[in-house]
Formats: sequence, C-alpha cells, structure tokens
Amino acid sequence: MAAAGSPSAALRRRDLCSRGIRLAGKMRADVVDLLDAYVSLPCSLCLPRGWEHRWDLGSCAGMLEEQREQLGEADAGLGRALAAVLLQVSAFAYHLEELLRLESRGIPGEEGDEEEDGPPPPPRLSHFERKLRGLGVLRELAQWAVRSVRDLRQLAKPSPATGAWPPAHGCSFCPA
Amino acid sequence: MWKNSSLRCLLALAVLCLRSLMYSQEIGSPGDPQNLKCVTHNLHKMLCTWDVSSRGKHGQTDFCYTTNDLTPQVCFKTKERRVEIPIPESSITVTIKSSGTAFATREFVIHQKDISFVPVTPHILSLMPDFPTSTLNLKWSDNGSVFPYGLDALWQIQILRKEAMEVVKQVSYYSKLTHEDVILSWNWTSDMPLECTSHYVKIRCYINATQFVGPKDWSDWSPAEVIPGKDTEPGGSGVFPLDPVVAVGSDLMFCCVHEEDQRITNMTYGSKSYTMMQLSRRSHAIRVLNASVSNTSGTNVVCRLENGLEGSVVFVGYAPDSPQNLSCETPNFLIIKCTWEPGRPSGLYGERRTKYSLFERTSGKNVSCEVNEVSRDHVCGFPVLPDQKTYDFILGVSNPIGQAQSSLLVDITQRVHPKAPEKLTVTGSNSTSIQLRWFINGSFAETRLLCQIEISSSHSERKLHNVSIPGRKSSTYTAQLNALHPDTKYQLRVRCSSADHFWRWSDWSRGVEQTTSEAPPARGPDIWRERSPSGESLIVFWKPLSLSETHGKIVSHEVSCYMLERLLERKVVSEPSNSTEIKLGKSDCVISVVARNHAGSSPPSRITSVELPSDNVTTDQAVAMGNGINISWDSYPNMTCGYIVKWCHSSGSEPCSVDWQKFPSNTTNAVIKSALFKPGVRYNFSLYGCKSMGYQLLKNITGYMKELPPKTAPNFIVEETSSDSILVKWEDIPIEECRGFLKGYLLSFAKGEKDALKPRLSESGNPELKVNNITDLTKKSMKILDLQGKTSYQLELQAYTAGGLSPPNSLYVVTKEDSVGLIIAILIPVAVVVLLGVLASIFCYRKREWIKETFYPEIPNPENSKALQFQRNICEGNKTLKTLEMNPCTPNSVEVVETQSTAPKIEDTEMMSPAAETIVPEDGSDSEMENHVVVSYCPPIIEEEISNPPTDQPGGSSQVVYIDIQSMYQPQIKPEEEPEIDLVTTAGYKPQMQLSINALKIEGHSPVEEELDKTAGYRPQANTNTWNMGTPDSPGSVESNNENASFGSPCSINSRQFLLPPKDDEDSPKPINTGWSFTHFFQNKPND
Repeated sequence: MAAAGSPSAALRRRDLCSRGIRLAGKMRADVVDLLDAYVSLPCSLCLPRGWEHRWDLGSCAGMLEEQREQLGEADAGLGRALAAVLLQVSAFAYHLEELLRLESRGIPGEEGDEEEDGPPPPPRLSHFERKLRGLGVLRELAQWAVRSVRDLRQLAKPSPATGAWPPAHGCSFCPA
Repeated sequence: MWKNSSLRCLLALAVLCLRSLMYSQEIGSPGDPQNLKCVTHNLHKMLCTWDVSSRGKHGQTDFCYTTNDLTPQVCFKTKERRVEIPIPESSITVTIKSSGTAFATREFVIHQKDISFVPVTPHILSLMPDFPTSTLNLKWSDNGSVFPYGLDALWQIQILRKEAMEVVKQVSYYSKLTHEDVILSWNWTSDMPLECTSHYVKIRCYINATQFVGPKDWSDWSPAEVIPGKDTEPGGSGVFPLDPVVAVGSDLMFCCVHEEDQRITNMTYGSKSYTMMQLSRRSHAIRVLNASVSNTSGTNVVCRLENGLEGSVVFVGYAPDSPQNLSCETPNFLIIKCTWEPGRPSGLYGERRTKYSLFERTSGKNVSCEVNEVSRDHVCGFPVLPDQKTYDFILGVSNPIGQAQSSLLVDITQRVHPKAPEKLTVTGSNSTSIQLRWFINGSFAETRLLCQIEISSSHSERKLHNVSIPGRKSSTYTAQLNALHPDTKYQLRVRCSSADHFWRWSDWSRGVEQTTSEAPPARGPDIWRERSPSGESLIVFWKPLSLSETHGKIVSHEVSCYMLERLLERKVVSEPSNSTEIKLGKSDCVISVVARNHAGSSPPSRITSVELPSDNVTTDQAVAMGNGINISWDSYPNMTCGYIVKWCHSSGSEPCSVDWQKFPSNTTNAVIKSALFKPGVRYNFSLYGCKSMGYQLLKNITGYMKELPPKTAPNFIVEETSSDSILVKWEDIPIEECRGFLKGYLLSFAKGEKDALKPRLSESGNPELKVNNITDLTKKSMKILDLQGKTSYQLELQAYTAGGLSPPNSLYVVTKEDSVGLIIAILIPVAVVVLLGVLASIFCYRKREWIKETFYPEIPNPENSKALQFQRNICEGNKTLKTLEMNPCTPNSVEVVETQSTAPKIEDTEMMSPAAETIVPEDGSDSEMENHVVVSYCPPIIEEEISNPPTDQPGGSSQVVYIDIQSMYQPQIKPEEEPEIDLVTTAGYKPQMQLSINALKIEGHSPVEEELDKTAGYRPQANTNTWNMGTPDSPGSVESNNENASFGSPCSINSRQFLLPPKDDEDSPKPINTGWSFTHFFQNKPND
C-alpha cells in the first residue's frame, strides 16, 4: 500500500473519490426512484419512535434485505430495485473502506466490532413499523449519498496537507 | 245448564285451593314473624327467610318444622331470620317463635309449590382474549354435581363493551347437567379488535327441573369479567388489529388508541379516509366494509395524530382453492413428482403465502412442498418408497385465511414419465444402417422401455422407429436402424416411455446427425437418342437420376455403342453433361449408358439407334390442362415396347434441350408435365412407337400447358367503304403472340365518333353494338353491310383462343354520303320556293292596280327643282365623302328653301319626321355615328336623274328618298366602287330577288348587264342598289357613303328584305331598332 502522502497515493485517492462520487450519485438516483415506488407516507413522520439511533451501512443493508424478504417474489420490480440498491450500498461501502485504508484510517464498523459484543437484537416490529423503517432507511440513504458526494468532493480537492480529512459534516461513515 | 253451574263451582273451588297453596298459610296474629319465603338453589334444600317486627329483630328465634304428623318436629334456635331446611315432598309446617316479643309464635304451612327454584349464580372460571383473532374464550363450571342427572341447563351470556358497559351481544348456551361439575367453554369473536376498548362478560343460568313444581327462575348474573382495552393501559397506543390477514369481502374494524391528550386528525384505509367513531376518550374506530384484495405489501391503515403517527398493515386475500388436476408421476422410480393447478391466486405473499404439503396415507409420510408462487410452478417431490407401488396422496393447502386439500391414489408403475435420454451417440454406420446409443438415468430394472427414434433427412419425410428395450438401472441402451438410403444425411433423436403401461413420452433427446456412406447408383439413367440433322452421328441423351437413386455423387456417365455385341465406341462423359454425340455414320448400334459414382456403376440402360421409316405423319393439337399437356394417340398394336413422347424446351437463345417420357404399350393418353412448361408457350411433341427393331415416329403434336388470350390484336384495315357497307381486311397474328390455339375473331362495330376518352366498344355497353364472330380462320376479310350513309362507325377486331380475347384493335370509318337522298333534300325546298314565287307573282300581277294605289300613289315630280339639281350636283361632286361628312350638305339645303318651292316642304317633312328627331346623334362624333341610326336629310335623288343625266330632265320626278346609313349588307362595297353603283339604273321592273344578288355581285356586273338592267321593264320607284339590307341605324351605313342610298318603296317587294334581314350573316351587327321600318313605311305618304 502506498503511503498516504505519496503522489501515487494522491492519484489513487482522487480516483477513488471520483468513482465514489459517481457511485453515490447513481445510488441516490436509484433510491429516489425506489422511494417513489414505495409507500407514500408523510415524510416528517416516517420514523417510528425509538429509531433515532446512529445509522451505518450494515443496518441499512439489513433493513433493506428485511423489506425484500417481506415482499417475497410477488413484487419482482420492487424486489429487483431493492436488490440493486443493496448491491450499490455494499459496493459503496467497499469503496469507502478502500479509501479509509488508503488514508490509513480505521474502519468504523471494524473498530466497533472490536469494542462491542454486537448490537442488541432488534425488537419485534409490526409490518407497519417495518415499512416505516424501510422508508426511513431509503430517505436516509438518499441524504447520506448526497452528503457523501459532498465529502468526497472535498476529499478529492488537492490540499496542502495531503490526506487531511475535510470536516465530517455529520457524515455517518466518518470516524467520530 | 246444570253442567255449566257445576263446572263453575268446581273452577272456583280450584282457584281457592290454589291460592291457599301458593302462599304460605299464615296462622297467628299480626306483628308476629311473617312473609316466610323459601327458595331452593339446588333442589335438595331450601333457604327460608321471613320478616319480623322491629321489636323482635335482635332476639333469638325458635324455628320448628315438621313435614307431616308422623315425623317428629325438628326445632332449633337461630338468631338470623333465615334457615336452610330440606325441601318437603309435599308440604311442611313451620312454627316460628320469636323471643324478642312476648313469644310471638307463628305457624306456616309451606307446600312444595310455594318454593321457588333459582339456580346458584354461575362463576366465570376464566375469560381469555385472543387478540389477533379478536376472540374471547369463556370458561365456567355448570355446577352439575348438585343437581340430579339429566337436567337441561340454559345459559345466558352477555357481552358488554366500553366504559359504559353497553350490551353488544347476548347469547344463549344450552347444556345438560350430568350430576358432575363440568367446565363449559364458549368462544366469541368480536367484530371489534379487543384492544380497542374494554370488553366485559357476564353469565347466568336457568335449570329446567321439570319435576320441580314450584316456580323456577334465572339465576343472578355473575360478576362481569373484563378484558381491558389498550385505551385503559397507561401509554398504550397503536392501530388495532395489528397486521391482520383477512378474507376478501370481510367487514373490518380498525381502531386507533392514543394518549388522552393527543388529538386524532384522521384515519385512512389505503388511500381513503373514513369516518371515525369514538369508543372512548383514547380510542377511535373506523369500519371498512367489503375489503378488496390488498397489494403485495398489504394495505396500510394509518392513524394520523396531531404529533404522531400510528398504523397497521392489513393483508386481504383469498383462502386457497382446492388444487385441481393433481397428477403424480415418476421420472426414474426414485422420486414421485406431483403437479397440480392451484386455481385462484390467494393474493397473499411472503410469510402469508399459500403453503402446500404432500401426505401419503399408506406410509404416513409427510413432505412439505416448496412452491414458487410467482412462476406458478406447482411441483412437489415425494421419495419412492421401497416395496410400495401404490401411493395414496393428500395434497394439503393452507394459508392464514383457510385451507383445502385434494387427494390422489396412484400406481406409480403406471405413471412413468422418463426424462429425456442423454448422451445420444452414433456408434457405427454403413450405406444403409446406423447404430445408436443413449443413456437414461433411473431405476427401470422392473419395467420395459419403449423408445422411439425419429429419423429425418432432407429428401424424405420424418419417420419414427419404435424399439422396445428391457429396462435397467441407470444404463445405456442401443438400437440399430436399417434400410436407410446411402449417402444421406440423417438427423436422429430418441425419446422413451414405459412399455408396460404407456403414460407419457419423455422429451426428445438432443439430436445427432449421421451421413450414410455411398453405394452404386440404383439404376441406369433414362436415355434417348436422336440422329443429327446430317444423319452422320447420333446424339445420346440421358436424364439425371433422382437423389434417392444416385446413392452418392454421380461423377460420370459411360456411353458405349455395340453392334452385335461388339463394342464400336465407348465414351466417358463427366458430370454435369447429360448428352454426347457418337459418330456412327449411317450404320446403327445399340447404345448402353451407365452412371458412375465413387462406390461403383449403375446397371446399364440400353436403346437402339434404329429409326423406322414412317409415313403420313400428322400434326394434332394437344389439350391444355393448366398444369400439363394432355396428349392422346390411337393404339398401335404393333408397338410392342411402348411409346415415347419427345419434346424440346427452348429457353431464349440457348439451343432447345431434349426431354422425353416413356409410356407402356397399353397407354394411349398421357398428361405431360414439366416444371419448365410455361403458360402461353407452344410446345411441339413427337410421338414415337417402340418396336423390337427400333423406334418409329407416329405423329407430331402441338400443345400448350395453358392457353392464354392472344397477346396482341390482329392488324386490320378498311379496304373499301360505301354508303352502306365497309369491307375490312386483317392479318394473321404471329404464332408466338397467339399464346393458344386461335379459335376465331370478333369483329364489333357501332356508331361512334373518334374520342380518346371513349371506352372500348365491348365495354361501352352501346346498345347498337353488333358483334360478328368469325370462326373460319381462313377468312381474312369481311364486309359489314346495312350501314347508314355518311355516318362514323367504330370498328374493333379481337382474336380469341380458349384462354380468352386479345386486346382489341380499333378503327373509325365514315360511310359515304347517300347522293339520292341529298338530291331529294335539295330539290324539295327549291320546288317549294319556286312555287311560292310564282304564286306571289300572279297575286301581284292581278292586284297591281290596288298595290299601286295603296303603296305608290302619284306624287309630284321634283325634277324641275334646280336646288335639288344643285344639291344633287353637290352630292355628286362629293362622292368620296363619307356619310359622316354630310353636314356641309345641310346649309345647302337651307339654301334650297330660299330658291325652291318644293324643296322646303320636303325638307320639313323630313326634319319633322320622328325618326329624324330621335335618331340624329347629339355629339356628332364619328364613332357614335357608326352606332346610331342616322337619318339625315339629303337632297332628293330621282331615279330618273340617275338613269338620265340631270341636264336632260330638269323637272324630274318628285320621289323622296330616305337615306339610311348602314353597311350591314354592304360591307363588300368599297368606296372606290361606288361610282359603279351610281351607274346602276333603276328603270323598268326589277324583281326584288335581284337585290341581294346585285348588291353582292355588283363588282362582277358587266356593262352589258347594267345596260340590261337599265332597260328592263317595270321597276319600282327605288334604286335597288341604294337599298340597305339592314336596318337604317346600322353602323355600316356610315361606311356605305352612298349618297343615293334610299329606302325602297314600301310597295316594293324589296321591302321584304328590310323586314326580314338575312339570317345567315350572324356576324353582322344586329339591328338596334326593329320598329323603324314601319315608321318610315308611311312617312313618304303625303298628309299621313
């Protein structure tokens, strides 16, 4: 692995950032399309009580997978769209991990795993709550993609202190 | 009557007895214990209560009772006013002595009928809610052990709801008491989710003890058991029921439970908002009727609160249909595959989907089936069990709404449906056979297999070959196919089934291809020969063998020539040539031809070159059959080895290719077919007979495969025309344009002018159309008779064959004029005119005196007027003046008034004439002068003066001449010719008929003729040369410039020309005023 400050590392970072921007843009577009096809509910009230915990890629993917299972094979279109978003989320996660490794940063999930025994099992939710949560995940994903694009653009800019992270802006994948 | 009174007495007595029995008989004084009432709860003992006065309420009471006189009285002391004593069989006498007062004693007699039976109040053992199904389960004991066996018990259960405990349901429940305590259970499903609000249940009973004669009553209601709603729970909220699965058409109730301080905005089911009912301060409900199928992710029920959101998802679907057409079969005796049709989709997916299980009753084995709901591929596998052939399957179907099942009893040995054979290969082949091998996976050891091999090739139909093979366990099978064609590419594939009990064929295996090897050609080629035109050589033809006969690729043909078994010549001709020439001279030989391929030679085909002489060879016509040419011939008995029909195909510039067909000797008719035959093309056939010595030409035949209409019309001309006939001649059509055997010609004709747009005669529908059918083909001309003279005729000529009519050729001919008719037409009007002329002349002659008196009275002769003479001279001196230049004459005429006595009168008459007043133009312009009637005065001109010089007769006639200037009928007279006009004399009689002739032919007048005119007899008083033939106001009159122009005498027959101007000169200007002539007619009459 090249050192974070070397010219090749800068090039690599720029490449990862630009590809990440494209990926996040596509992901956002797909999520917005999916939101249109999903349940239509008032946006401001879409998250049920007690669901204000911190987001991460794993929980997003888990919830999307749960929604896909709920639908079964019945709604092939929605199922395929969800699967596509899942794939993009995991690809984007992998992409960001590469970027973090390049910058010699720890991966938040891995760090967390080391520290904690794992998240407590989620409470049994009703269908309605799961729908709300799915919708919330999609909305969060869309916003998160926008934030990620902004962060990656910042990161792609050549800065005097090579490898310095831009302000986190509350982005969920940034280390705390 | 007696009967009635005694009946009434009995009835009154009975009522009295009943009254005494119903109430305990009170014996004693008032203030003592009273109102003794006894009630039993169990039919064994009764509880008796009584009232006492206030004074004895706290004292002890002695209570004694006895059932009859024989049993001793039972007494005991009690401080309560209730005792439990046994129920007497008939009656009981009770004595109550109250110690509180002065030993007030009271005796009661209680009969059984006075005792009430009220069962013990039931006790609810448990009330269990099932929230998902909104069902309550009630359990209680019937307390039957205290009652005799077999009593009927009736239970009344009441359901109450809300805080106000509104009764929503009351049901009756029947049971039989068995002298044992039995726990009874009852379920009730609420139409409202139990979470919505609190539900209460109460119960009471009635025991129908028929042996008990006393009054019976319901027990008291049990204490209400409650299932508290979520609206009673602190913090309880949500939409209920939670995620239910219901059947389509159900009526649903949803409630929204919220905090007391929250205000509910609305409730929606799907996208529709519903009216809410308030159940409590914390609970509202909506009712949805006849729910329809929800979408795949369920229908959302949303309760919107002021600051929150609650919801539920309802899945509405159908209970599963009974599976249809359940069928089970085994592909390999290892597994049984059952298939079915599920019927109507349930509309439920995911974890709520319809689930299937296959249960086999004989073995008791159960298998759950994984079914793909979307692809609707409903298959379930069940393992083949050892030593079991018959399977009794039950296919169970269930989903959250309902369940169904279907059963099938099947002998698996009769339901074998193997999988498609695999690994099909060709293990060997030669020119006529192929060996195949394939593999079938499965345990078929106890059955035979029937396999079908499909054989197809490019030049033969698909064939199926069945092979029965003993089955084996997962083994390969082989088969050999024989009687195949050499050098043929075959496509092969296999499928199998059970041979013992055919059920279904397997799918076809993958196909393989195999080409058989070559073999020598099956037979020699079909051959023919022809002498070359010179006769020196022989051309041998052969036909290519069919693909099924070549048995390989033909590489060459070997042609040999034998004379008495001696080989004269041998030639090897390579493909693709199909003829060769052998130099034979005038001699003959036997030709032998063999075809060769890589595998060998065919058997030889032989033909002799001998051609027998023939005489009287005729040429016949064959019949076109549309798809071939029908040739027939007479039977020739001496043609022992058949007939040959030979023909030649010619295609464009290439030399024609010889073709032939052989027929057995008993044939006299054949339809020759060839793909090369074209419709409308003439083919020439030669029929040869075959004798042992050689071939003999029997006859020639021409024919068409299909006759078509001639391509072009015959050329024809009109040879001769008269007034009533036309002679038409035509030419032959070239053979190649006939396109069939010519049958004749159609010559059509009808009256008609030449017109490019005119349709063909045959299509015009002309009723006068006449058609001549000429079937004599040798005839090349035809005379059409009975025509009208000087009439245009349209002629059309068409040729026709059996195929139809050629396009027509058209001509237009005008017949000559009928001269006799013309002569008659001219002579009749001339004769009529002459006759009328004669009659008019006779009339005029006879009435001449009267005519003269009437029309030409004597008038003074102004001959002596010098002024007029002067005037005349003036006018004569200005012969070249135009009429428009007449104004200079007017002052002269004024001068005439002063010198002449007669002239002014004439002048006044003229000036005062209406015509003069109205017609003289105002502006005097030239152009207008031409367009207006100009009647102007001019010095009188006396005919005698014209005929005689004025100097000779100074006192000439007094004739007045009215001048009309017009040129309608005198345009031919040019100004330079006018002097000649002046010379025309008017002396003597001149027929008016001459007027026009003179006027028109004036130029041609010879002096002799003029002289004759002058000397003619009687003449009216007019100079006919000056008479205008048109109207006086004609513009041409200006041009005429004829100062002598004057009106003819009204009595003159010339006047006819004024009144009736000639019609034939239509180009001349029309008269403007047709009434003028009558005005002037009498103007010259004195004193009129």
